[in-house]
Amino acid sequence: MTERPPAPVPAPAETGAVTAPPPAPAAGAAKTEPAKTEAAKTEAAKTGAAKTGAAMTEAAKTEAAKTEAVKAGPATALPAPPAGAGAAGRAPVLSVRGLSVRFLLPGGRRIAAVTDAHFDVAPGECLALIGESGCGKSVLASALLGLLPANAQTAGSAHLGDLDLLTAGERTLARTVRGRRIGLIPQSPAAHLTPVRTIRSQTEETVAQLTGERNRSALRTAAEQAARRAEFPLDHLDRHPHELSGGLAQRAATALALIGDAPLLLADEPTTGLDRDLVDRTVDELRRHVDADRALLIITHDLAAAERVADRVAVMYAGRIVELSEADAFFGAPGPRHPYSRGLLEALPDRSFTPIPGLPPELGDLPDGCAFAPRCDRATGLCATLPPVTGPVACHHPVPAPARTPEDVRA
Amino acid sequence: MADTTVGKTDTTVAKTDTAGRAAPTVWRAHGTARRSTHTLRLRVSAALVAVTALAVLLVPPLVQLDQQTVDLAAKLLPPSWAHPFGTDDVGRDLLLRCVYGLRVSLLVGVVAALTATVIGTAVGAAAGALGGWADRLIMRLVDTLSSVPHLLLGIFIIAMFRPGVWPVVVSVALTHWLSTARIVRAEVLSLRSRPYIDAAVSGGASRWRVTVRHLLPGVLPQAGLAAVLMVPHAMWHESALSFLGLGLPAHTASLGTLIQGARGSLLAGQWWPTLFPGLFLIIPTLAIAGLAGVWRERINPRRRSELML
Amino acid sequence: MLELHAITAGYDRRAPVVRDASLTVTPGEAVGLLGPSGCGKSTLARVAALLHRPASGTVVLDGTSVRHYRHRAPRAQRTAVGVVFQQPRLSADPRLRLSDLIAEPLRATGRRASAPARVAELADTVGLTPDLLTRRPHEVSDGQLQRACLARALVLRPRWLICDEMTAMLDASTTAALVRVVEDYRTATGAGLLAVGHDQTLLDRWCDRTVHWDTVTSAARKTPA
Repeated sequence: MTERPPAPVPAPAETGAVTAPPPAPAAGAAKTEPAKTEAAKTEAAKTGAAKTGAAMTEAAKTEAAKTEAVKAGPATALPAPPAGAGAAGRAPVLSVRGLSVRFLLPGGRRIAAVTDAHFDVAPGECLALIGESGCGKSVLASALLGLLPANAQTAGSAHLGDLDLLTAGERTLARTVRGRRIGLIPQSPAAHLTPVRTIRSQTEETVAQLTGERNRSALRTAAEQAARRAEFPLDHLDRHPHELSGGLAQRAATALALIGDAPLLLADEPTTGLDRDLVDRTVDELRRHVDADRALLIITHDLAAAERVADRVAVMYAGRIVELSEADAFFGAPGPRHPYSRGLLEALPDRSFTPIPGLPPELGDLPDGCAFAPRCDRATGLCATLPPVTGPVACHHPVPAPARTPEDVRA
Repeated sequence: MADTTVGKTDTTVAKTDTAGRAAPTVWRAHGTARRSTHTLRLRVSAALVAVTALAVLLVPPLVQLDQQTVDLAAKLLPPSWAHPFGTDDVGRDLLLRCVYGLRVSLLVGVVAALTATVIGTAVGAAAGALGGWADRLIMRLVDTLSSVPHLLLGIFIIAMFRPGVWPVVVSVALTHWLSTARIVRAEVLSLRSRPYIDAAVSGGASRWRVTVRHLLPGVLPQAGLAAVLMVPHAMWHESALSFLGLGLPAHTASLGTLIQGARGSLLAGQWWPTLFPGLFLIIPTLAIAGLAGVWRERINPRRRSELML
Repeated sequence: MLELHAITAGYDRRAPVVRDASLTVTPGEAVGLLGPSGCGKSTLARVAALLHRPASGTVVLDGTSVRHYRHRAPRAQRTAVGVVFQQPRLSADPRLRLSDLIAEPLRATGRRASAPARVAELADTVGLTPDLLTRRPHEVSDGQLQRACLARALVLRPRWLICDEMTAMLDASTTAALVRVVEDYRTATGAGLLAVGHDQTLLDRWCDRTVHWDTVTSAARKTPA
């Protein structure tokens, strides 16, 4: 490993300095990223406000600033995930502030693919970004990897440790980020693997690329080790991708993604087209690789997969993250608070199987106000203005928060 | 490349934070460098092709000079103001001869390439769309013809006619459709297995309609590209035939006959009768190939969806 | 009735993907065919849609035994079955606008005149706006494109619908919306449905009965995925 990421345990002060993103509009003041302790979690739950990065109220900021010295308190006060609780005192692996992506089309059209996204991914946590196709999820992933096409523009910041992925040059991204600091698990592994080469040769090549190892027998050992980590059967290493079943191809792709020992795994629709058993196995395997140091950002439209794997859920609609919530609370009681998230869950075949009426708006022609209002049964005149993001939900009329949060129950 | 801040109007009031303050959004562009080299190649190639086209189309009707005017007093003059490209061994102006030669060569190239593409597309599409024994028969024929060297086959065809422009066109066209047929057939086969063809069949479309409405439009960009790339190839082929003395009659100026006629003077140290026709052959063919390269990237389906929806 | 008797089919004679599969759908019935990916259920769906000639076995469509497949099948027989595939991107001709995509079967069968009205009606049914109808496939999302593909399958008013993993790429809301369109169509016309998929919850909710691949084919144990 020539280019290992910086040690994942920076001092809180240092973290504050480096991760306060200059243009992040929702958090003007320099702030400390959340260090997740049980105490902090309770604090956040009590104040009941400020659950998302975007959602910080002034009050919460001050509150956080006051308590931070004592408790290493959460400025952004995302409710700590169960797994994250073990990783106390950690800065987030990925911290996204005000990320927007738009595409310029010929004729002056502008497509607002992602607008003002704020979220953190803590070490040991799995965040699922869910939403329907075309809502901007994959664009967000491409933006994080620096793989946007030439007609794209970005705003905001996405800090991976001390590196802003959005301003980093292509060389930095290619040499130190992709594979090394972000492991990508692709949408269709069969297409991602080179068809004419065996899994072994591809694994060895990736090892050689990422570690600089040239010794053949060392490479062989390392490749087998990588395969073992992803539970890829060693006797299948000499096969070509087309000789593998969907599940094994997925494991091969996972093995490649894990080689760089990246602190962030990014899975973009890893389960599309797989059947239910395979989906479950795939996400379980991804989940296994989330440990104290590593985090997983999974982008999916498959709610069942998200429920199975995620600690927290971010719901995206028309390019905006409209709700950021604990997975337990989201999928269980009390359920999601944004009407769109509710509608999405209710559309599941094991719930009421009712579609949300209407179509999502065009990303090139978003309304001034809430983009969901035309499809929403709770909409009023107020929804013609953009909902302020207070709390975890970007909505004027969210489903009321329950009196007791699930955190209380768990704690 | 990633940190260029674009345009003053791009700082828009895009959001309001919880305190009600408006914050400007600063947009950054990505990957501008790649685009500009791309455009440069496109522009240079397009400009050269345009100049070539203007020259061969406008010079003969507008410039009232006879390219065939022999002036033995002025033979083999080096380039000068009166004759920018010099004169040949019977005193004809080389600039004028080159333009006329390019005109003939281009004509042969374009017509031959178009003919070859039409034949190749028809044969390839038929093989791919019919499949089965028809496909095997056609492709066996193509393989057999391909095993005979191009030039040899071309010479054979030419030998059957009296010398002139059209035998050369026929010879070049008949030897060049094979690769197009292969490309088109492969493309048709890959399109044929797409679900959208299944959907068309299920929707009641006849075999003819599937081929004409769904398969052919899909291969036309590829076939068009093959045609453009074939123009330079055909021009070179014509020059080669003429150089061998088998193509156009020596008095018809084509780039091939010009170079052929200049062989003797090159040995005598007179470089201009060879150099200028050579450049007239190389530069337009490179420009056409450059345009084709840009086109190839344009029709690349990966580029199509820049929205990533 | 849509009857598949002892169908063996595949792309290689020596290794058929489907062995000895039998399945019957009665008029107006919705049958879900459940199986793991790669088991050959899509091939069986293609056979049922007369798009793939089985190596052996018979297909009986509304009492008529099917003798020819694909182009050779009589047009009336072919168009009695509407199909929707898994991947909308691959099932739509990239050059056609969505309105042309939906109207294509009408034009192919010489009912050009009725196209504009029928397209407008179907666009409304599947929830496509007039603006979307003017776009080409690469300008719309997967969900929108699949709506158009469903409209295309319905445009000739088929008596049978075959949905091969129709919703596998789609989000929950679009899935529910498309299933509702199919069900509304079936209620109105009494069409039968063969829905192929791998999501038991979905098929149980959608269909009158769900059959597992293993019970349909005697050879599932011999052909691992």
